Amino acid sequence: MRFVDEFRDAELGRVLAGEIVAAVEPGRHYKLMEVCGGHTHSIYKYGVDDLLPENVELVHGPGCPVCVIPMGRVDDGIAIAHEPGVILTCFGDMMRVPGARGTLLEAKAAGADVRMVYSPLDALRIAKSEPGRQVVFFAIGFETTAPSTALTLMRAKAEHVANFSCVCNHVTIVPPLRALLESPDLRLDGFVGPGHVATVVGARPFQFIPADHGQPVVISGFEPVDILQSVLMILRQLRDGRHEVENQYKRVVPWEGNLRALEAMQEVFALRPHFEWRGLGFISQSGLRLADAYADFDAERRWQLPDVRVADPKACQCGEVLKGVIKPWECKVFGTACTPERPIGTCMVSSEGACAAYYNYGRFARDREVV
Amino acid sequence: MSCEDPRHCITCGDDGVPMRVLAIDAERRLALCADERGVHLSVEIALVDAAPGDTLLVHAGTALTRLEATA
Repeated sequence: MRFVDEFRDAELGRVLAGEIVAAVEPGRHYKLMEVCGGHTHSIYKYGVDDLLPENVELVHGPGCPVCVIPMGRVDDGIAIAHEPGVILTCFGDMMRVPGARGTLLEAKAAGADVRMVYSPLDALRIAKSEPGRQVVFFAIGFETTAPSTALTLMRAKAEHVANFSCVCNHVTIVPPLRALLESPDLRLDGFVGPGHVATVVGARPFQFIPADHGQPVVISGFEPVDILQSVLMILRQLRDGRHEVENQYKRVVPWEGNLRALEAMQEVFALRPHFEWRGLGFISQSGLRLADAYADFDAERRWQLPDVRVADPKACQCGEVLKGVIKPWECKVFGTACTPERPIGTCMVSSEGACAAYYNYGRFARDREVV
Repeated sequence: MSCEDPRHCITCGDDGVPMRVLAIDAERRLALCADERGVHLSVEIALVDAAPGDTLLVHAGTALTRLEATA
């Protein structure tokens, strides 16, 4: 497929790997964070890290939508799913995320009507075809999926679909990046920027990283050649003493983002004062709720939710993985008590989770052998 | 683009998928699209200007942008 195949070209990848070797300073260690879980997935699927010199380390960031959902919010979803007459809809990965009361998949097995959808529009279709039921969409994700939820709610309002509502767990990417950069735990040299979030918000929101923290950001595509080229662009900025936002993913990301998507989000959502992130704690102005004009579609106002904060299991170190402080295989329960089949932590659930990516692409076995 | 393989579900992993436009339903703001494996999907196109033959980046059933060749 055009725009895809040429960015999986092995020869081009090898050329870029050679240029990366030429761009690094011997004796210097580079720690670059790939913000987005989609990048983490590609890096392990295609073995991008194997092409990098030993002194260029990729650190996984917090950009996996499933991984950052706190357990209490899962419990809220399960509580709604058990309400009489409710059909709870969500993306597939969300069904396997454990809360304190089990998973949505287990709630389904216990008799709740929980259905997987590909898009919130599918949930709205279910609502229109089952007018006697209450259909709730459990919305998760960053600025990539928030426009889809916003458009769906605009449609629901325009078409007066009264039996449709939404539990809004949408989050924004900039506040956790600010929190990470202000954390004393982590010293980074640059960022592989989230290409698809930037499709919506543009490149401008990331300018605080070079301006306030003196670090390069390269907005990157998701194919292996994209990621290698972005790493090279970051290393060249560091070599030349520059720090700025560059856009490697020009075939997709306009500098200004998608104004129509931002307008839709502006109409439908409002910022919460703070929102809890799994492993990262409460972060100010990082979560979205439904705006007052859409209160009739807000499941959090339609039902009384438990809204209880649940601490993560003690053995789980998803927080450190999400902050890039430890590698997945350094977690005590990785690959033993916590596997994709029976995840304890969210990072083992989603295909974009760093732990699942390590586990599924054989990194587990290799890293353990090396140790 | 299927959820049958739990280890690799780009549908649910909130991954952007490039899809080619086959036909447009302007009244409903929907496009019939195909991914690289030929799987068809009805895509919301309220946020982009799309025409048959275009390649769109699709997230959760909504097109976020139209892909364009760069130098």
